[in-house]
Amino acid sequence: MTKHFLAAIFAAGLTYSAIAQTTFPRNGVYDERPGMYAFTNATIVVDPQTTLQNATLLIRNGRVEAVGASVNIPAGTVTTDLKGKRIYPGLIDIDSDYGMPEVTRSAGGGRGGVPQYESNKKGAYYWNQAIQPENEASVLFKANPTKADELRKLGFGAVLTHPHDGIARGTGSLVALADDRENTLMLKPGATAHYSFSKGTSGQQYPNSMMGVVALLRQAMYDADWYKRSGSKEQANMSLNALTRNLALPAIFEANDKLGIVRADKIGDEFGIQYIIRSTGDEYQRLDEVKATGASLIVPLNFPQPYDVEDAWDADNVSLAELKHWEMAPTNAGRLAAANIPFALTTAGLRNKADFWTNLRKAIENGLPEQKALEALTTVPAKLIRVDDLVGTLQKGRLANFIITSGNLFSTDNIIYENWLQGKQYIVNNKDLVDLRGTWNLTVGSQSNLRLNITGKSADKPEYQIQADTVKITPKVAISGDLISMQIQLDKRKPGTIRLTGYRTSPTNLKGDGESPDGKMITWTAVKAVDSPRTTSVTSTSTTSTTATTAVSSILYPFVGMGNAQKPKAEAVLIRNATVWTNEKEGVLTNADVLITDGKISKVGKSLTAPANVKVVDGTGKHLTNGIIDEHSHIALLSINEGGQSSSAEVRMSDVINPEDINIYRQLAGGVTTSQLLHGSANAIGGQSAIVKLKWGESPENMLIKGADGFIKFALGENVKQANYPNPGVLTRFPQSRMGVEQVFMDHFTRAKEYAAGWAAYNKLNAKEKATALMPRRDIELDALAEILANKRFITCHSYVQSEINMLLKVADSLHFKVNTFTHILEGYKLADKMAKHGAGGSSFADWWAYKMEVHDAIPYNAALMHRQGVTVSINSDDAEMARRLNQEAAKTVEYGGLSEEDAWKMVTLNPAKLLHLDANLGSVKAGKDADLVLWNANPLAIYARPEMTMIDGAVYFSLKDEDQKREQMQGERARIIQKMLTAKASGASTTRPMPRRARMWHCEDVEGVMAEGEEGK
Amino acid sequence: MKKILVSIFTLASLMSFGQNPAPAKPQTKTIALMGGTVHVGTGQLIPNGIVLFSNGLITNVVDGTLVKLNLTDVDVVDVSGKHVYPGIISPASTVGLQETGAVRATVDKQEIGILNPNIRALIAYNTDSEIIPTIRNNGVLVTQAMPQGGTVSGSSSVMMADGWNWEDAALKKDDGIWLNWPNYFARDFNFEDFTTVVKKNDKRGPAIDALQATFADAKAYAASPTPAVMNLKLEAMRGLFSGKLNLYIRADYGKDIIEAVTFAKSAGVQKVVIVGGEEANRVTSFLKDNNVPVILSGLHRLPNREDEDVDLPYRMPGILQKAGILVSLSYADEWWRTRNLPFLAGTAAGFGVTDREEALKMVTSNTAKILGIDTLVGTLEKGKQATLFVSAGDALDMRTNVIEHVFIQGRKVNLDDRHKRLYKTYKDKYEQK
Repeated sequence: MTKHFLAAIFAAGLTYSAIAQTTFPRNGVYDERPGMYAFTNATIVVDPQTTLQNATLLIRNGRVEAVGASVNIPAGTVTTDLKGKRIYPGLIDIDSDYGMPEVTRSAGGGRGGVPQYESNKKGAYYWNQAIQPENEASVLFKANPTKADELRKLGFGAVLTHPHDGIARGTGSLVALADDRENTLMLKPGATAHYSFSKGTSGQQYPNSMMGVVALLRQAMYDADWYKRSGSKEQANMSLNALTRNLALPAIFEANDKLGIVRADKIGDEFGIQYIIRSTGDEYQRLDEVKATGASLIVPLNFPQPYDVEDAWDADNVSLAELKHWEMAPTNAGRLAAANIPFALTTAGLRNKADFWTNLRKAIENGLPEQKALEALTTVPAKLIRVDDLVGTLQKGRLANFIITSGNLFSTDNIIYENWLQGKQYIVNNKDLVDLRGTWNLTVGSQSNLRLNITGKSADKPEYQIQADTVKITPKVAISGDLISMQIQLDKRKPGTIRLTGYRTSPTNLKGDGESPDGKMITWTAVKAVDSPRTTSVTSTSTTSTTATTAVSSILYPFVGMGNAQKPKAEAVLIRNATVWTNEKEGVLTNADVLITDGKISKVGKSLTAPANVKVVDGTGKHLTNGIIDEHSHIALLSINEGGQSSSAEVRMSDVINPEDINIYRQLAGGVTTSQLLHGSANAIGGQSAIVKLKWGESPENMLIKGADGFIKFALGENVKQANYPNPGVLTRFPQSRMGVEQVFMDHFTRAKEYAAGWAAYNKLNAKEKATALMPRRDIELDALAEILANKRFITCHSYVQSEINMLLKVADSLHFKVNTFTHILEGYKLADKMAKHGAGGSSFADWWAYKMEVHDAIPYNAALMHRQGVTVSINSDDAEMARRLNQEAAKTVEYGGLSEEDAWKMVTLNPAKLLHLDANLGSVKAGKDADLVLWNANPLAIYARPEMTMIDGAVYFSLKDEDQKREQMQGERARIIQKMLTAKASGASTTRPMPRRARMWHCEDVEGVMAEGEEGK
Repeated sequence: MKKILVSIFTLASLMSFGQNPAPAKPQTKTIALMGGTVHVGTGQLIPNGIVLFSNGLITNVVDGTLVKLNLTDVDVVDVSGKHVYPGIISPASTVGLQETGAVRATVDKQEIGILNPNIRALIAYNTDSEIIPTIRNNGVLVTQAMPQGGTVSGSSSVMMADGWNWEDAALKKDDGIWLNWPNYFARDFNFEDFTTVVKKNDKRGPAIDALQATFADAKAYAASPTPAVMNLKLEAMRGLFSGKLNLYIRADYGKDIIEAVTFAKSAGVQKVVIVGGEEANRVTSFLKDNNVPVILSGLHRLPNREDEDVDLPYRMPGILQKAGILVSLSYADEWWRTRNLPFLAGTAAGFGVTDREEALKMVTSNTAKILGIDTLVGTLEKGKQATLFVSAGDALDMRTNVIEHVFIQGRKVNLDDRHKRLYKTYKDKYEQK
């Protein structure tokens, strides 16, 4: 306590500043000093492009006064000779929480807790707690000397700090890392606006999914616009006010991974904002997509630790992607630089800030040019946040923020001596420290045959040893400036210590006197005989070897063990002599040929001639079909349910496509080529579907089928009314019964109708009228519902029992819209006539039942009954495993209900294509349609059948015969990296136990926070 | 009062609609299935065979082209063009122990507590379960009712898919004790990012210590035919040390399999069966050396790891078969899915098991051997019970698994089930053909 107190007094007492003290009364005498310092004979890196030799830096009142080879040093300047030393601009970190209050998530709110539906933040703010643009770092900022010192030691002079809490986080401030009053430290308040995908401390239910986060931010932006135009007349809202105000600032978005960069950028595009994006260090895995965003990045240097792979079996738990990431993460910055993607570097994300230089040097060894590194720590961040007139270079007029180093900032043996902030000196290491290391001839009294060896890794941590003939003695030594004191026990057998005190007379001479054990005064001298050798060459050797081994690593598309070294491309292929299931009136053709060119089926027939340069595949004894279309899938998604409200029509599954889900590849191996990625069934009105082709390795954008109609998931029954919620005692979300579910629809569609009418009326006005009229508020939830009413968006409704199916048909009829598809629809057979009359299709399981009450009457004859009643029926998976055997599920309609094999096959191809309005291009083998084809080893409906080749748009995405080769390559790559990891561990790197992270398998009732892993059920 | 009456009526009408067909009457007359393709269940196939059974037992299985039988006073069923199979056996099953998964009141598959060797699954076995007719209508005629929960879950019994009550339906009571081996790796679910982390299970040491102590006590207890103080738990384990009971150990990871088997052998357990065995391919020579059979968990599952071969689960039976390990297929606790068990054998045949007859063994005779019921069922051989079925075609393929006759111990089973009744009701409603 006393110590701290003393330290505080010292800090306050020694602190002076020429700026920003004007308004403060002084307890004592004014102590404003001229603040003129000159640093001469230095190598000065003015900016990353300009390095001056033997130059002088002159600063005055905390700013750069002059820099150059011949600078006039006015009288009254404190001059320091920096011969042999360098000066760099102070480093800048623009993702910091320095001086911000700690962000602590409130306890509770987990499984079974009472759901919080409204904001807990009192005041005139936005309805959702995660939107808090009103927070301002400038108001929250409190200097923290300990943390400032930590960053100063690394060479940082200024950081952009902001509260890391919420989706809209408010503004950031540029602050100096000096110890001073906040008034002085705040270099630029309100410098930036900040956003993220994390709702932070908000315990509010909504949003509880990534797509909900995106939707919430989008809606808030539209609301801000409305508020600016007219909303402020209706309500006061400090959040919306701030959101608009912050639009003028550089905007920084914290992404959660490489996919998040693209996702964030897409939001920016919608509102004409180019976000600066804080990335996570895995951008190298999707460089093209990242570059295409045009965003500048803020890149961390958080490299993974090696895994403990000594136990071969346990090591199986580490995936090849994880192994590769360990190897390649240090190449990230270098690859960004090579791709000309502008970026700043940050210390954020490091487990330990002290790793910064180690990791930065590792990045440089792995291809990051030093100049780029310097830019990324000075000029780039300064420009990005528009403070380049203040910091980032040492040009005249900039703040006197600079560091003094022993040599090249980036070399391993560099020492940062001093960090000057706003003209104030902070000593990191003593630059005047004399390097005593070497061998000294020591004479103590009459003993002159002694040698003093001073060694150690650095000058400030010397180690001492005295050699008397063959005897080695370790003395106790204390050095303070030029003073030195030593205690020596010269003879181990005889007790008694000689105590010597002395001083340095020259760099090579020490002398003094002392007392022998018996109290006699003696004199001593030491003369340096040999300097200690430098150790730089050793480091550079190891550098080369690291680079050499890293070069072997390559990117995979996607970055998963089963990914491809190159993205598959469309080929011209002729498949000969196969049994072709056309799904057209031609039926099943035997000994037929199919020609594929430009990603399309160009000819179907017998004995086709092979054009030049076409790859011929022998289909003898094999069956060729369309790719399977899964009408109901939850693979390749980062989250499934936005269950925070009974309607989440505003959320889009296209925002959460995960192109790296291994289930994509597994399903290609099962013949699936197209999937409707659906929102879950946690609420009555779910989210907007993403219809994708399973193009393994492509971007989410390229997986989406262009021009496909928009679909939306609805849900009825047990999940919607939370019947199987683990803690029913706390349920407060409307509805809790099937009665209420109907009212959710009636209410929302009624509002959507009025909303659409409001816009229609407004859009009819002429320009003059529009100028005075109030533009309606844009509501992205009602937009989606209005699209349904306008027959522009189509419903896939999760449904089980007949009462609720009937209900939705009635609701739809009364509001004049159509239910496109009932999915699951296990009691569809009870209402098949009504469905057929309404024009609704059914997409069902083949034989699922008995897992919950609402599937009690589910029967495997359902598909056949509906089909015969004229309903378009498909068989879907809703399950990552079953999707890879959808051919078998279709075959069950032959067993149950006796459908023909052709009709059965259409249940997983043509019929889902129809239900998704994609049958113009998909679903049958016909000239002109997309070449999404599967070659099977047998009748595709047989249990013994398996795909040998799966093709999408004419490109082969799965090939059975290449599987062995792929496996071999994976094993080789695995073994190589594991050997490297073992070496890393042997040389002392700390390791992480093999703990594979596994994305969970989604089913449609997986509500975040509701269903635990392993709990089964549809 | 009125309300109560109404609800009683509703219940009654529901029950009458939902009622299963009555259990079959005992066989009174000899039956001959003539001219079908007979899948013996031993690997043998008789293209034009005759299966003759009387008083519930198979009296003859012959090649109809070679042998003429005297068929006076025999009910002759012409099954030419069709296929005759031994009843499929579903081990490690919760059929009869749970009805509607999400409704707790209908689920009796596990007990609380850690060490429950005395818990007996057959006690809760509900012969009136509506699941049962649906599985036997796909050829699954025998199930092993297995308890779950705790570390030692209790004992299983082998049940026939037909009977008035559990005593009636039991084919073999208390065939073995079930042990959930404490896993080397534990799954840890992260609610923050909804991923699962697999990490070393640090809590397993004490669990294994407790098992060791219990098995040591049980062995000592078993040495005395009349212990001074009766202990129900130790009493239930007695048969493990004489070879009367199997010890079914649920273990998947290679290290767990080795540890668990070694544990059981050193504890004096005579017969050990590995259940699950999702990574049994890593320890084939160990399993072979120790003569340990494996009941694989449902093949229709995803690979355990991102980098694992996409078809590894499907290929597992073939890998084990070729290594000389006795393999059986199960649907584990997927009670209603049990009707798809024949298709797991089909999958095994499509992915590496030598041929379809070998794959068939994995759901018939192999399973019977493992469960210790091979003198009763599992093959179509003289002396075995006439628990068999006739399918229109290949029963391992869902297109042709159309069951036309089912006999359990020679009793002709009514093929009606809830699904067929609802099918008929609505076919009639729509006047579909």
